[in-house]
Amino acid sequence: MSAETVLSSAAPEPSPPPAGALDWLRDRLGWDDLAHLAAKKEVPIHRHTIFYYLGGMALFLFSVQVATGILLLLYYRPSASEAFESVQYIMAEVPFGWLIRSIHSWGANLFVGVVALHMISVFFLKAYRAPRELTWITGALLLFLTVGFGFSGYLLPWNELSFFATRVGTDVPAQIPVIGPLLSRILRGGSDVTGATLSRFYGIHVAILPSIATLLIGVHLLLVQKQGMSVPISQKGRNERGALRFFPDFLMRDMVGWLVAVGLLAALSAFIPWELGKKADPFSAAPAGIRPEWYFLWMFQALKYFPASILGIPGETVGVFLFGILAAVVLLLPLLDRGAAREKPSVWWNLLAIFTIVAALALTVLALLPAKGAPK
Amino acid sequence: MSILDTGIREDLARRRWITWLLGTALGATIVSFLYPVLRYLVPPVSSEPSQSEVELDIKASAIAPNTARIVPFAGKAVLLLRTSAGELRALTATCTHLACTVQYRPDRTDIWCACHNGVYDLNGGNVSGPPPRPLTKLEVNVRGDRIVVRRA
Amino acid sequence: MIALSALALLLAAVRPTPAAKPTAAAKPAPAATVGCVECHLALDDSRLTPPAKAFADDIHARNGFTCVFCHGGDPAALDQDVAHDRRKGFRGRIPPTEVPEVCGKCHADAALMKQFNPSLRVDQLAEYRSSGHGHALAKGDTSVAQCASCHGAHGILPVKDSRSPVSPAKIALTCNRCHGDRALMESHKLPWDVYAKYSKSVHFKAREKGDLSAPSCNSCHGNHGAVPPEVGSVANVCGTCHAVFAEQFKLSPHWEAFKEMGLPGCVTCHENHEIVEPTEEFLSNGPSGKCGACHEVGSPGAVAAAQMRNDLVRLATETRQARALVRRAAEAGMEVSRANFDLGRADDALVRARADVHLFRASAVREAAASGLTIAQSARKAGQKALEERDYRRRGLFVSLGLIGLAVVALLFKIRDVDRERSGRA
Repeated sequence: MSAETVLSSAAPEPSPPPAGALDWLRDRLGWDDLAHLAAKKEVPIHRHTIFYYLGGMALFLFSVQVATGILLLLYYRPSASEAFESVQYIMAEVPFGWLIRSIHSWGANLFVGVVALHMISVFFLKAYRAPRELTWITGALLLFLTVGFGFSGYLLPWNELSFFATRVGTDVPAQIPVIGPLLSRILRGGSDVTGATLSRFYGIHVAILPSIATLLIGVHLLLVQKQGMSVPISQKGRNERGALRFFPDFLMRDMVGWLVAVGLLAALSAFIPWELGKKADPFSAAPAGIRPEWYFLWMFQALKYFPASILGIPGETVGVFLFGILAAVVLLLPLLDRGAAREKPSVWWNLLAIFTIVAALALTVLALLPAKGAPK
Repeated sequence: MSILDTGIREDLARRRWITWLLGTALGATIVSFLYPVLRYLVPPVSSEPSQSEVELDIKASAIAPNTARIVPFAGKAVLLLRTSAGELRALTATCTHLACTVQYRPDRTDIWCACHNGVYDLNGGNVSGPPPRPLTKLEVNVRGDRIVVRRA
Repeated sequence: MIALSALALLLAAVRPTPAAKPTAAAKPAPAATVGCVECHLALDDSRLTPPAKAFADDIHARNGFTCVFCHGGDPAALDQDVAHDRRKGFRGRIPPTEVPEVCGKCHADAALMKQFNPSLRVDQLAEYRSSGHGHALAKGDTSVAQCASCHGAHGILPVKDSRSPVSPAKIALTCNRCHGDRALMESHKLPWDVYAKYSKSVHFKAREKGDLSAPSCNSCHGNHGAVPPEVGSVANVCGTCHAVFAEQFKLSPHWEAFKEMGLPGCVTCHENHEIVEPTEEFLSNGPSGKCGACHEVGSPGAVAAAQMRNDLVRLATETRQARALVRRAAEAGMEVSRANFDLGRADDALVRARADVHLFRASAVREAAASGLTIAQSARKAGQKALEERDYRRRGLFVSLGLIGLAVVALLFKIRDVDRERSGRA
């Protein structure tokens, strides 16, 4: 044996001196381990692979919202006397303010839509079966947060539509028996929608919800990394097409989608800039046809069909109670759907879901129709 | 060189070209995103929304006592007047009767609406004629020779 | 005690006609009405009971004035003959020709009225005597209005009370009770469609919208001295609100000319009751043209009218077009406050130019319209700039979309390349 080989077999050689800053970071961040894990991440290819893109799209749109939201924070003022003017300032005087704000507003709607599609696809692909129940539960919570983001953010421009829509919207929790009025008071920061509500919604929108969302998204993603992508029951065993590497193959395809989404948002901002309307005047009468945002319309319309009272309980309270039951079912679905847990198709759950989705769509359409006798 | 070699070299060349294209396209796209963001970060000249506060183009010294000027504020007309005592005041210049623009009358030191002979005092109070409500007072601040008008 | 003072009042009141007025120091006693009202209410007669019922609301009752102050008689007596004693000054229904004097015995007495409402006028009787109604009544015509016709007789409310028939909101309808009665008006050779015409006017419409500063009948005709304004004074009357127009009209050649011809000033072109929104068409040859009645086509007056009309129309059109442009820019989300300010100035110029028509000098209108045109044009420019900014944004968008498209294409190429590499190796 030569001197070198004796020396080389005695102790493990340290890595060669860093060839640059990147290498310096690599050594300290444990990059190689991460890269090793990342290389192993795979996406199964089958008939329904396309739905795997929705999760990433939702995450991307969330990042767009955070980025544009932070930029808006630099100019927005959360007080009843300045909020409207500050948004007007952003739209009219700040360079590209119109773009940032419109992207944020359109992006919010696109985000809600994608989150809904993501959830629907996960449902029908039964990706919530064991061991992925927690992923679904965190996802359902994220859905509620998303809707909360939408509701709290909508008030922030303090314009006529949002003021009255918020008033109507915060009336709904008041229908819950016992804790309802207290809940409504906590939401509103008082007995009615005022500047105090604006401050509160602002805190909820930029601090409370983002921190909870970050936590939940972290858990959600961690679980996905740990457990890998779920394969639908129908596609199990049919693995002829193999799997796609996540890095870089699937990611590149993801990016195509993300770029298209950004292009869409930019086009919408330039051609259909988000309206501002008139400043809110709490003392004026609500303008005709006040409605919440489209993702609330199904609830808004459904509540209209409840009679004034059912068995002595106010109709609206029954309605809100039923929504609560729906939310609970959605949240605990993996624990309720025994069929999926046993890798069997769950026909009744599917039918129930289809019925709910169709009903929600129908209610939304009904809510958008002009009221009887009202001018179009 | 074998056919295989040329094939591999062609492949490598194409791959390099595609990678270059991707890098350039993505880079350009990112720049087109960053440019608006960076411009956005630079605040405009007037740091207050012009619906709430406006610095006027007129110098304070240009307004003599017992005269007035119509100036723009948030798209509307505002009467900027200097009393005989030298005090600068700003009032909305839209008559509360039927929205004509009012004017200052130095000979009577009052504010007059020519449309239906409505008269306001120098605090904006509606003293005679059809106007049902006073004119709204705005806050005037003078910084050196610059006049800043703000909603009260 | 009360009976004694009532008796004292009665003694003072004993006189055949008219019922005596109380002395300046007298304070009326409320209990004295008991007799009249009680009896009349108990009668339950369709003619005799309503006055007693209505009187409870009357302003005079609230101030302690009772039936006897106008009708005389004995208020304490419950026997009809005693109560209605002519020797105690009783008179039943007061004939219309004597009503003004009865009301005037208190309302024309400044010292008395001062004790109740010092700010009330005391010249109504004098004014009434000078009015058309007053003159006719003095000649014995009982079909004309006297105090009770408009104010009522027994449930009289203050003018400020919105239920009063002479309150600002209701006065026109009260006048119309007679002036809309065709038979009555024809017998007096007066027009009977005045209210119908007035209801088409801008003044009526303004009042409907809540602007009570707009004139009603009494604003131009007076309250008690109601008489149409004379030919020479029409401009003065209109000029109390439309001051600028009246001033200009008096400086114009029409002022003397109309007076000479006996034409009623402003009313000549604008009508007296059916005062509609004036338009530039008043200066035209069309159906609503006013100048053609005196100025033949081709005459200097007609030429001037046509020029004024054209100048006004041009300014109005420029402003309207600029406004449409600015609105498009605002709808696209652009900043247009400077343009809106300019449009406000252009509107002001149009108002000024329209006012200057009343100088009836084409050059004056041209001057005013010219300055307005300049402003309208600068507003249009500001609107165009805003639209250019919008187009610049859209061009920028297309550039970004192009880059995004390029990136997508590059990605797709790369994806295909990587796929080929993988399948090649597999």
